[in-house]
Formats: sequence, C-alpha cells, structure tokens
Amino acid sequence: MAEIVRAENYSFRYSESKKWAVKNFDLSVRSGEIIVLAGPSGCGKSTLLRSVNGLIPHMYAGQTEGSMSVDGHVVADTPMSVLAQEVGLLFQNPENQIFMFSVERDVAFGLENLGVPRGEMRERVDRAMRLMGVTELAGRAPHELSDGQKQRVALAGVVAMNPKLIILDEPTSLLDPKTALELVNQLERLRRENGTTLVVVEHRLDLLVTVADRIVVMNEGTKALDGAPRDVLFGDLAGGYGISVPAITRVQKLLARDGKISADRLLSAREMAGLLGGAGPR
Amino acid sequence: MNLKVEQGETVAIVGENGAGKTTLVKHVTGLLKPTSGVVRVKGVETTKASTAQLSRSVGVAFQNPDHQLFSESVYEEIAFALRNFGFSPQLVEKRVTWGLELFGLEEYRESSPLVLSGGEKKRLTLACILAWDPDVVILDEPTVGQDAIQKERLAGTIKLLGAAGKTVVVVSHDIEFLWPIQPRVVVMKSGRIVADGPASTLMLQKDVLEGARVSQPELVTFYQELSRRPEAPFVDPSEAERWLK
Amino acid sequence: MMWLSGGFVFRKGNSVYHRLDPRVKLLISALLFTTTLLVRSIFQLGLVIAFAIAISAVARVLKRVGRTMMLTATFSAFIFAVNIFFTRNLETSAIYAIRFIAIVVSTSLFFITASPDELEQVMKTFRLPRDVVFAFVTAVRFIPVMMLDTLQIMDAQKSRGLELEKGNLFQRVRNMIPVLIPLVVNSVIRSGELAEAMESRAYGAVAKPTSLVQYKARFADRVTALAAVLLFAAGVYSFYFVLPTYLP
Repeated sequence: MAEIVRAENYSFRYSESKKWAVKNFDLSVRSGEIIVLAGPSGCGKSTLLRSVNGLIPHMYAGQTEGSMSVDGHVVADTPMSVLAQEVGLLFQNPENQIFMFSVERDVAFGLENLGVPRGEMRERVDRAMRLMGVTELAGRAPHELSDGQKQRVALAGVVAMNPKLIILDEPTSLLDPKTALELVNQLERLRRENGTTLVVVEHRLDLLVTVADRIVVMNEGTKALDGAPRDVLFGDLAGGYGISVPAITRVQKLLARDGKISADRLLSAREMAGLLGGAGPR
Repeated sequence: MNLKVEQGETVAIVGENGAGKTTLVKHVTGLLKPTSGVVRVKGVETTKASTAQLSRSVGVAFQNPDHQLFSESVYEEIAFALRNFGFSPQLVEKRVTWGLELFGLEEYRESSPLVLSGGEKKRLTLACILAWDPDVVILDEPTVGQDAIQKERLAGTIKLLGAAGKTVVVVSHDIEFLWPIQPRVVVMKSGRIVADGPASTLMLQKDVLEGARVSQPELVTFYQELSRRPEAPFVDPSEAERWLK
Repeated sequence: MMWLSGGFVFRKGNSVYHRLDPRVKLLISALLFTTTLLVRSIFQLGLVIAFAIAISAVARVLKRVGRTMMLTATFSAFIFAVNIFFTRNLETSAIYAIRFIAIVVSTSLFFITASPDELEQVMKTFRLPRDVVFAFVTAVRFIPVMMLDTLQIMDAQKSRGLELEKGNLFQRVRNMIPVLIPLVVNSVIRSGELAEAMESRAYGAVAKPTSLVQYKARFADRVTALAAVLLFAAGVYSFYFVLPTYLP
C-alpha cells in the first residue's frame, strides 16, 4: 500500500515561541487507513495537522526540523495550490468554512480557485454532493442549514478537490452525539467508496474506536502511543495520557483483572451484544 | 411545559440539538419571556424583573467563553459581575482571589483573559459566575470541546456545587459525561419534556431515549448486556456500579 | 439593529423583481437614488417615493420597506429640525428630510433583493480586484452570523448583571463596551479561521478563477433596463420642464 504521509523526526516551533509544539515526531500513514489522533488539549495535535496540509510552513512561520512529506511531495517545498489537491482539511467550526451563499457554489469554491473549467467543475461538484448526501441542499443558504448539514457541505467542498488524504480537526466537537455518529458513518463511507485516507483529531474516542485502523496518542508534542485501537486502549499506558478511554474499556479491564469475565477486548456494547447471540437470560 | 426544580437538586436537561434545551434555560433569567404561562424563580415572576436582577441568584454559564471575555485583566473580568451586583471593593477583592484560587488561575491574575487557552477560558467563566455565589448555577453545554481531564474536573466541580447545597442545572447532550454524576434527568424533544426521572432508572429505558434521539450511556448498555451472561456477578446496572466502586 | 436587519439584509424571494439580473437591480436602485437628488419639489419627491413603493410591491417586500421607512423617519425628523433651525424654510427642510428616507429606501431595495452571490457578480462586472470582491461578499455573508453573535453576547453580559436598558445616554454607550469588545475579538478569530480554510481550498492559486454559475442577461432583463433608463429620462425631463416646482 502506498504511503500517504511520512514524517521523520519532524519538529516545529512557532516563531514567537520558545517551546517546540511538535518534537521528534515519526508518522507513517498508509493509503486507505483511518487514523485517530488523540491527546489532551495543547498537546500539539492542531500543529501537526497543519504541518501535513501545508498551512505550516506556508501560512504560519516558524522553525522546522526533520522532514514531512505527503504522497511523495515535501510539504515545505510544495505550493499550497498543489498540496490542497493532495490533502483536504476540515475544521472544527462548521460556520467558518462556508464562504458562499449557496451550497453548490461553496462546494465549487476550491475548484473555482484552481481554475477548473465549468463542465468538469459541474461534474465534480455533483459527485461530491452526492457522496456526502447533500444534493437536495444545493440551492440553500448556509443559515438555513443545521450544524451537521454545514459540516457535510464543508466536507463536500473538500471532497470535490479529490484529495487522497483528508484530515479533520475535531469535526464533531460542536455536534450532538447522533449527528456526530452520522458524520463518522459518512467518513467511513468516504474511505470505502472513494478510497480516501483519513486522519481525524478527536476527543470523543468512543465514536471512532470501531472504525479506526490505528490510534496515535500525542503528549506535549511527542508521540506517546501508536497502534491498533484494542492494543492502545487496553494497554496499561492508555490512562496516563489524558485521553478519553471509553468507559466500557476501563470496566472490562477491571472485570478481567478480577477474573470475573474472560479477557475479550471489546470496544463497544454492540460488540458485546453480537457475541451474546445464543446465551439466554440469567 | 411544566417543570419544577427544588433547591439543591442537580438536574440534567438532555436532548438533541434543536430540542429546545437552551431556549428553556434562557427563560430562567428572563432572557426569554413566555408566550403564555408563567416562569417563577424563587417565587418571583421573571417578567417582573430584569435579567440583571434575576442573575443575582441564577448564574448562567454559556457555551462560548469568547462571547463574554472583554476586560483588561482576569481580575477585572471576575470583578465585573461583582461590581454590577453592588459588592463593596473589599468584598470584590476577597471574592476574586477566592475564585482565582478555586480554579487554579492565580498566575493569570493580571493577564489579559484573551491569552488564556480554551480550557482556561472555560474555567474563568465558571469562576466569574461562582464569585457572586448564586443559589442556582446553570451550565449550557459545558463539555463541548473539552478533553478528558477537563471533563473530569468539571464533573468534580458539579458534585462540589451539589454538596454545597446549590441547585445545578446542566444542559448537555453528552450522556457519557452525565452518567457518573447520577442527576435527575429531564429529556426534551421538539420543545416538550418527554421524560423526567432519576438517571438510575431513566437511563435504562433505551426506547424512551432513542425516541428523543438521545443515546444510552455505553456503560448502561454494556451492563444490561453483561447481566444476561451466565457468569455475570450482578443483576442490574446500579448493582454493577456499586460493585465496581 | 432592527433597522439594519430589515433594511439591508438579503432574504430569498421569488418575485419577478428578485429574478432580474443583479445588474439591472443595481441600475434601478441607482436611477432611483439619482432621481431623488434631482427633484425640485415635495410633489416630485412624493412621485419618486410612490414609484419606489410600487417596485417594493412588485418585489413583495412592501412590509419590510415600509418598516424601514418608518424607522428612518425618526432620523429624518432630526434632519428636519436641524434644517428648520438654520434655514427657517419649511419647504427645503421637508425636502431634505424626506429625501433622506428616499435615499435609504432606494439603496435598501437593492440589498434586500440581491444575494451576496449576486453582489459578487455585480462587483466582478465592474472589474474590481478579486480580493476586494471576495472580502466584501464574505463580509455580507457573515452579517446575519454577526448579528446572532451580538444577541448571544448581550445575553451573556446581561447574565453578569449588565443593564443595557437603563441609564442616560452616556451610561448606555459605556455599557456597550462589554458587547463590542467580544464582537470585535470574535471577528478577528473568525477571520483567522476563514483564512485557514481559504488557503486550504487553494485560494489565489490561479490569477483568473473560473465560475460555476454564469449570469446571462435575458431578454426580459434588457427590456427592463431599457424601460428603467427611459423612465428615468422622462422623469427628469418632466421634473425640470413640465411639472411645477412649487405646489399652487
């Protein structure tokens, strides 16, 4: 599988700061993976994301060490216009990433900026809207949309640019749990139908734990843990890094330690129900 | 809508975005006036007093700290409400210092509130409210954007307020956060109250919760499934909680 | 605030007027505006306002325009009073006062019937630099959002004991500071986030961006534009050579 992101010993410090926001970070993301990036507030997740899509160093000045490349392009040497077509970035606040007064024009925003001819643009916009399930909203204005709809529209705008990788900065933070779950399903569908690689920064691990291939935990700018969700969450170190280890994980660990249940490492209550198919009530 | 909250209760108002939770709590301080019917706080009708007056006994923490912070220093920020409510300068000094200590913000005493991190800003808005010691504290979506450590601290603060005899109302869609607090739960859907009861019983009723597009705490679902296993050591989720503690 | 919202914030509409090419809508408002500057009697001014009201009726925005006129009238009264004080001339003072209302209405008519996207189209026709057009259109797009922010900020500060409805003029102005500062700060934060989103969507990658939609002037648009210009010419001619400049 192709390697989409390669960070080798990457470090970054903002020009007005003495502290390194990201330190000696190694990361390899393979095509088609869904990676969750977790860690307490201020650990450097946002800085890392922006280093991947090019906002660092093209928009934010600072000192870089080590290397960061996306799909073979070295980020520091590649202009944003090229990077924007390789990496899409979805932000936390649905409102502040919709520019146009109609949904379909906003989905076309990136393509207009790239000078894509109208015929091709129309096709790509229609396809992106269909993929994100917002085709019926094409003529609506942003204030007519719910927050969940706004996030899907913004995501459609990113998808229209056909990036191989989409990174998302706490995309569900302002959404209620049901809407958040719908967005996560949408992301899973993007990976399945479009082959898009996804890196999601998220506090609410319970939402993503069943779809993620890997969890990477950051702490004070460095990488603390990196592995499959079951390994990371059931490992002994999970609790020490201030991440929201799902409650059932903690409970299972306690139960298993006391020998009360067998050591099935289940990530959701649903998985539990799946296993109990035949067992009758007590 | 009919709702009564007694002094000292901790109540959680849950429901999806748009169910009317924030609209409801805005009536408590008169930010919204009822189209029909009456809203009374400590016996006083909300139409008979200004929001500023009602806020003396009801402190509301809104979701976005950036909608509040404007003073030259964190000290002034906490002092703002105190001065509006007519506290003497000596009392202001005492209360501000107390608030800074309680929320671990002493080092920022003279700093501009705008340089604080997101989590610190949220703590600051809480400090601003508790400084004037209202009887009722309303928190509107306090867990949005918070990490695990911040949420734990928040849960601790809510329990502390309850222990101090304050009436606490938490508007939240974060059911996982609310479960350990075990508050009274009021479920809203489309502007109506569809359920009202203690967390220990209400959270078990999956169909009621699903009907309001509210998820059941994963732990509760897990316990319910677990209690069906032959080797499970307990019968129901509350027993499980107790056993775990 | 109601005045700003009712008079200058776009709301979608489906009338014949709304469906006109935005350049024609701009032309009509500009001609109305110019006419109000050229009138020479209250009667002529009344004709212009009647015409504006007729257009509002066609555009089905009569209620909004009516409300804007009434809210502007309070400031107009102030203009009237100042003029009376200095010139002691009833007729010219009245003309100044009513003319102000007519000016507000003619510009309001454009902004409430033309969406930010249409505004962008019009500005592009005038060959304004892309960054200027984008900044302006984005600002307009966020006006309703900022108005909502203002209400939320006011709620938050009222909940901290701020009295916004009491006090003399000086106190009330000072009490707006806790509302204005968060508003400004939020705008700055918003600009930063928008800039990140713009960069991430390749803004500025190409000198001449393409466009998904194209506004083509239809026959109906051209006819309306011609009619407007002819009416304008006829009106000005009659104002200067046919109609009386003072009521008998």
